[in-house]
Amino acid sequence: MSLIRQLWIAIIIVMSLAFGGSLVVSTLSARHYLEQQLYVKNVDNATSLALSLSQMPKDDVTVELQVAAQFDAGHYRLIRLTAPSGDIIVERAYDGGLTGAPEWFARLIPIDARAGIAQVQDGWHQYGTLTLESHSRYAYESLWTGTLQLLLWFFIGATLTGLLGTVLLKRITRPLDRVVEQAEAIGGRRFVTTDEPRTTEFRSVVRAMNLLSERVRAMLAEESQRLEKLRQQAQHDDLTGLLDRRQFMNLVDAALTRDDATTGGTLAMTRLGSLGALNQQLGRTDTDRLLCDIAAGFAAVAETHAGWEAGRLNATDFALLAVGDDDADQVAQLLARQLDAVHDHWRERTSLALPIGAAAYMANEDRAILLARADAALAAAELAGERAIHIARPKGYRPLHTDLHDWRRTILGAIDEHGIRLAAYPVVDSAGRLLHREAPMRLFIDGTWQSAGYFMPQAARLGLLPELDRAVLETAIAQVDREQRELGINLSVESLRDAGFRGSLFEQLQAHPEAANRLWIELPEYDVVRNLGEFRALCLALKPLGCRIGIEHVGRHFSRIGELHELGLDYVKTDASLTRGIESNGGNQNFLRGLCTVTHAIGLIVIAEGVCSDSERETLIGLGVDAFTGPGV
Amino acid sequence: MPTHRVSRTPTDVRSPPTKRYAAWAIALLLWAILGIATPDLDRMQRLAAERYGDSAAESVAAWRRMMADAADLDEEMQLARVNAFFNRRLRFVDDTVVWRQQDYWATPLEFMGKGAGDCEDFAIAKYITLRLLGIPDERLRLIYVRAQIGDPRSKLSQAHMVLGYYAEPSDEPLVLDNLISDIRRASRRTDLTPVFSFNSAGLWVGGASTSSADPTTRLSRWRDVLDRMRTEGL
Repeated sequence: MSLIRQLWIAIIIVMSLAFGGSLVVSTLSARHYLEQQLYVKNVDNATSLALSLSQMPKDDVTVELQVAAQFDAGHYRLIRLTAPSGDIIVERAYDGGLTGAPEWFARLIPIDARAGIAQVQDGWHQYGTLTLESHSRYAYESLWTGTLQLLLWFFIGATLTGLLGTVLLKRITRPLDRVVEQAEAIGGRRFVTTDEPRTTEFRSVVRAMNLLSERVRAMLAEESQRLEKLRQQAQHDDLTGLLDRRQFMNLVDAALTRDDATTGGTLAMTRLGSLGALNQQLGRTDTDRLLCDIAAGFAAVAETHAGWEAGRLNATDFALLAVGDDDADQVAQLLARQLDAVHDHWRERTSLALPIGAAAYMANEDRAILLARADAALAAAELAGERAIHIARPKGYRPLHTDLHDWRRTILGAIDEHGIRLAAYPVVDSAGRLLHREAPMRLFIDGTWQSAGYFMPQAARLGLLPELDRAVLETAIAQVDREQRELGINLSVESLRDAGFRGSLFEQLQAHPEAANRLWIELPEYDVVRNLGEFRALCLALKPLGCRIGIEHVGRHFSRIGELHELGLDYVKTDASLTRGIESNGGNQNFLRGLCTVTHAIGLIVIAEGVCSDSERETLIGLGVDAFTGPGV
Repeated sequence: MPTHRVSRTPTDVRSPPTKRYAAWAIALLLWAILGIATPDLDRMQRLAAERYGDSAAESVAAWRRMMADAADLDEEMQLARVNAFFNRRLRFVDDTVVWRQQDYWATPLEFMGKGAGDCEDFAIAKYITLRLLGIPDERLRLIYVRAQIGDPRSKLSQAHMVLGYYAEPSDEPLVLDNLISDIRRASRRTDLTPVFSFNSAGLWVGGASTSSADPTTRLSRWRDVLDRMRTEGL
């Protein structure tokens, strides 16, 4: 029971005791007073009537008249004159019942006034004994009205005290609400800090919780910085800071198996010609500077696009992976612009050969074939000249819907006509238990149910992702309600930024609390770290509804995850590029081990994406990963 | 109407000592719980000594002896003893002298303490004494009378109070008066004209309980004197 309710009950009990007690006491004392007064009246009236009777002639009519006159003019229940022998001489009694007070009240609080008794004398002789009882009706009436009035005051008093008590309690417990809120937030892995309240007791509690939150925050910041260093060492080229060959190839592998808006893309490469001669001409230091300039050009292109990565494949080869952009010409042009700057900068010293070869790829293309095509394009460019660009088109590449307008019609038509379907990729923990099933969407386009990679990039360009996400959400809720099994869905960054979508997401989940409890909602790391404000708002809104929130494709920007300690995340999914070949990649092993330690410290589940083999899975279990998903699961 | 019991001494109880003590303990306990339920004449005697000195205490002692002697007599003899005790032992003095008040109804203790009183004081003391001796209330009346002073033809009269005793309700009463020493039938008291009579029917009487906390008691002379008697041990 909550503190406020207990305080309320205490107030009600105290009030009832106080008012109830005073009600009883005052009613009883009023009754006592009335009884006394009635008795005095009985005695006095009996005496005066007996006195006048004693002075009168004692014929029956006179006596009867005297008694009747007294009875009729006064307020009596009984006047009886009894002869010494015990015979009744005259009796007048009022048989009417009570009016003005209910029967039960008279039974509950009887007014018991004693009769007045006086002696009537006839000369020296005894004539009789007069017994007189006043009617207690008016006494009951006054007692009843008094009690009613007191009850009325009781209720008025209770109501006023209640109102006053409410206001006071609210004032007193206002800091408590904040304390409870913070405690619940920390219980839900949201390590928030709040201002210290003025109440001494609450203050020390809040101080302790703030300290805890602050420690968690500091630990996360420190650990994520350390991990970032570890990742840099493991995945990046020492000289240029670009990804090394192994990690770059992991990324290419991961990109080729993507099934979302970033499906498809372009691999672009450049090769610095005659490195040996340059070394002799410029000296080693300047050659290194030249290599760094080229790398900076690549990095500049990569950083300005979501999810693009640049790597140094060997001493002379640089590569750019432009995920989600299969317009190879445009990618090559972006690169060429950067490399032109390098050309200009070094023109005084030497002339550079930096030809560009680019190859667009589609989902599920073999990595070796993609690399071979890119190499061939690069070789062709090398032959063509120092600044030449050569594009390799994928075999059989034939866009089905050429213009975006056509795509819009096709996608919306497919949703209207066939609805959407959700695929189901299991996510299992190390003991083989199913955590949830990831459910990317399928649309019926061009005669078959197409995977997301087929239409998502176009939908993203058309700005249709919020609509698709909305459709996915509805389908997912319906499916969870039907199957009663955990389901994981992805949201796009466009939906995250769309306040309208966030509102409808909240409403839908609120309307389906059962489904919300079984829904796992995730967003890509890249989008989360660039939209922290919106993501925070989403987390705070969705957490109370019971659904789980996570980040997918985690790895590259883990150092920023430390800022999320206030959000109460439930899980992270590490990027497939970290999983690829983990059994032999010591650097990535160290990084993942550290990541698991940190995220476990704040209560998150770590799920590895892109697990292909049992050996990868075994290694990941050893590193502390909790669950797995991918082709090998 | 509660019946009155004369207090018994412990020696009256015929039972083994242990049981007797137990009975005493219980009686004491009851006494403590219920308050003074029976007349406490020891207390009255003690109060007389404290308030009015040894001669008053002696009066009370004599009064108790008289009651003890009269306890086994028949009612007419009891009347004679009681009437004689008060008429002989106590002086008839006006309230203005004894109490410096126009009219004061004294309790038997106050009456014996002062050794003097007026007609009401005599009537009340006799009434209470006879009640203590076990004469029921129905047979006794305190009667206001108009008393003719001097010879039968005198026009001079004064307010007076006497105690009437009715052996039977329909009988002519015997009049216990402090003006004359013997008890006479009412018909022989041509000097007295009865006006009104009363007794304690419906009111407190020795030992019967009524709330002494009742403030209305003090407003009636008769109830007041009964109430004061109660506090004095009757």
